[in-house]
Order: sequence, then structure tokens, then C-alpha cells
Amino acid sequence: MSARAWTATAMGFREQRRRPLLLILLVVVPAYVVTRSIAITEPTPRRIGLPGGGTVLTTMKELHGAIMAGTAIAFVAGLCGVFVMHAALAGDRRLVLAGFRPGEAVRARLVVLAVDAVLVVAVSLLVTALYFTPASWLRFAAAGVLIGLIYAPLGALLGAVLDKLSATYLMLFIVMTDIGIVQNPMFGDGTPGRLAPLLPAYGPTRVMVDGAYSAPFHATGPLLLSLAWTGALLLAVTLLLRRAVAAHG
Amino acid sequence: MSTFALAGGSFVREHLRARLTLAMLVLIPVFFVVIFASVLGQFAKALGGTMAGEATSAISAGWAAAFLCGALAFFQVSSSRGADRRLAAAGLGALHVALARIAAAIVLGIVVSAVAFLTLLVRSGIAHPAHAAAAILAFALVYVGVGALIGSLVAGPLEGSLLVVLVFAVDVFSGPSMTSSGGVLSYGPSRDAATLLIAAGTGHGSPGGDWLAVAASVLVALTVALGAFWLAARSRA
Repeated sequence: MSARAWTATAMGFREQRRRPLLLILLVVVPAYVVTRSIAITEPTPRRIGLPGGGTVLTTMKELHGAIMAGTAIAFVAGLCGVFVMHAALAGDRRLVLAGFRPGEAVRARLVVLAVDAVLVVAVSLLVTALYFTPASWLRFAAAGVLIGLIYAPLGALLGAVLDKLSATYLMLFIVMTDIGIVQNPMFGDGTPGRLAPLLPAYGPTRVMVDGAYSAPFHATGPLLLSLAWTGALLLAVTLLLRRAVAAHG
Repeated sequence: MSTFALAGGSFVREHLRARLTLAMLVLIPVFFVVIFASVLGQFAKALGGTMAGEATSAISAGWAAAFLCGALAFFQVSSSRGADRRLAAAGLGALHVALARIAAAIVLGIVVSAVAFLTLLVRSGIAHPAHAAAAILAFALVYVGVGALIGSLVAGPLEGSLLVVLVFAVDVFSGPSMTSSGGVLSYGPSRDAATLLIAAGTGHGSPGGDWLAVAASVLVALTVALGAFWLAARSRA
């Protein structure tokens, strides 16, 4: 990484540090949502489908914690994506005019976005750990990271093409539909429906369910699908940001 | 046309001009009432609440109106500060700008509430339609106050929208009949409107005390919103 890219990244983090309310909210929002949803849910028995075809008998209380962790990660990471993109479009064009390469400015934004997403994932998983022990922490945590790495660039893409209000509304709409309902094993027969694999959170949610309840790994397909979504979205947002900041340079 | 009406109309058009915003203002209430309500009964049962059937459809209409209007009012204050100050300084005055802003927020709140109410009516019918319409509008107006207050205190769009989400989440999780647990957090900003809406959804009328409580919460919210819009438009020069 060049000196200019380091400087841009350091400035990005300094900007974040000067907004203590943002850091507080990145911790409080997922922590509250996960804690409260687990605390107030009854331990009603619930049978759900696992990747690989098996089923497991769990409780709504355990399920709710895992699902709300995913929902909180997706929504907060998505909103971070929306507004990091807006800030980038406003400020990074000037950096390019001042002599930065578009890639350097973009990389700095993506690093800040990734760190925000990782912070939200870490808080969500730490809070979940107080109430629930998954069969595999590695897979459970990886699923959380994948949700963050899918929804943060998705939010950035929305932020690039929509105004702030529309992007915020659409983020709520997508997260509620995708993770809140379609992928949610708390509803229906406990297994995602036929159209579920078309939505971005299908892969990581199945990896999360697998990590939560299954000792052996059965979610190769969903993991590959998650990685494909992550790669495609990160590539799309990188190209879009580079074009956007360079177009006016 | 008076300057006030012209400014108010422009503020409404400012949001409706973005076609996706307009689409979301219609789609999200429909989504909440038609799709989300179908699983909300199971969700409420998992939380140990008693809400089911018509009440879940009704309350989801209120929540949709609340979130949409909260985010809308937040962005109205936070994104328009500069323009509003110039309008006020150019002769409209801070109070008139604030009144035009709040009139626009109320009009948009009525639009969102009407969509949510009509979806509710078509989907499941409702025993007390007038009560339900008033309660959904109350949700919207209470959140105009919440969003405007946050907008007057918080400048950053990410921080502000996260704060709107946090208030909304606290409110939803602590709503009447959603959970059996009580405590201080069970008094969210839309609690009175939710009580009225659930009663209307289950075919019960509400006593005068409940109506007074809702009227008071709406009045407080709109007063707070007016203050927030006024503060945002006031010149610092």
C-alpha cells in the first residue's frame, strides 16, 4: 500500500474517531437488538431443517439470538455501506483532483467499511455468546462475517445510485425480507423456501444454522454461494467507486 | 398562492420527486401488512406475547408508518438545514419554514398512513376502521416528532438513521402484547397508539382515556418536531 493510501486510510479512521456517537451506536444497536430479542423470547420447542437434509429440535429462544445477530449485522453493515459511499462520493473526488489515484481513495473507504462491518459482527457475536453456544464457533462467526461482507457492499451500491432516504428504506426492506422472513427458520416449516437461494443472505444464513447446530460441516454449497456473492459485490462496489471518483478527477 | 403554501408544497415534492422514495412509501406499508403480518403472529408467540390474528396485521401497519415517517423527518431536518436557513434568511422566517416543514411531514405521514390503512382494510378488514385509521396516523405523527428530534440533535446521517432504528427497535420490542415482560422499557413512544390500534384490530372500541393519551403523545411529538424544524431553520449568523 502506498504512502498516500495509508494517509487516506488513516484519515478515514480519524474521521470515524471524531464521531464517537457513531462508534457507540455501532456497538449499542446490535448489542441491544440481540440481547433484547434473546431475553424476551420463550424457549418454545422448534424443529428446523439443517443444510444436508437433517433436522434438529431447538428452541425459539436459541434461534432468535442467532437470527437477530444476522439481521443486526446485515442492517447496520448495510447502512454503513450506504453512508460511507455517500461520503466517498462527496469527498474522494477532491482527493483524486489533489493527486490521489482513484484506487487509493477507494481502498481507504473499503478498509474503513470493512472495519465497521467487523466491529458490528464482533459485537453481535460477543452478545450472542452470552446466551448461546454454537456447535462450531468458527463456522458461526464466519457466517456473521460473510453477512457483513455481503450487506456492507450491497449498501454501498445502493448508496451510489440512490439518495439517502431511498437507500435507507430499501435497506430495511431488503434485510427484513431476506433475513427477517425468507431465510428465517423461526417461520414456516423451519427450512427456507424454493426462492430463498436467490437472495443474498441464503448462503451465510445456512452456514450460520449449520455452524449453530451441526458438528460435521454440511454447508459447502451455501458457503461457496456466500463467497460468490461477497466477491461479486465487492468487485462491483470497487469498480463503481473507482469510476465515480475518477469521473470527476 | 401564499409563500408558506408554496414552501410546504415544495418540501413535499422534494421527497416525492425521487421515484424510489415514493415507491418505498407505498411498498413498505404494503409489505409490512401483507407479508410481515403473516409471520408476526408466530413471532409474537415466540416472544411470549398474546398478539395474534387481526391485531398483528393492524400493528404492522402502524410500525410501517412509524419507521417511514421517523426516517423521513430525520432526513428532513438533517439534510435541509442549509437550505432552510437560507429560506428563513431570505424573508420566509424560521417559524414559517418550520411550519411549512411540519405541514409537509404531516401530509407525507397522511399518505403513508392511508396506504397502510387501505392495505389493512383490503387484506383483513377491520372492525373499527375509523379507530384504526386514527391510530396508524398517530404512529406516523409520533415518529415525525422522534425523527425531527434526532435530526436536530445529530448531524451525521449514519448516526441519525441508526438512532431512529434504535428507538424503533426499543419501541417494537416493548410494545403492548408483543412481550410479556414489562419494566421501564415497556413505555415506548408509540405505546398509546399501539394500544388503540390493537383494540381496533381485535374489534374493541377504546375508552376515552386511551384517546386522550394518544392525542397527548401526538401533540407532544408535533410540538417537539416544530421546535426541531425551527431550530434547524434559525440563522446562526
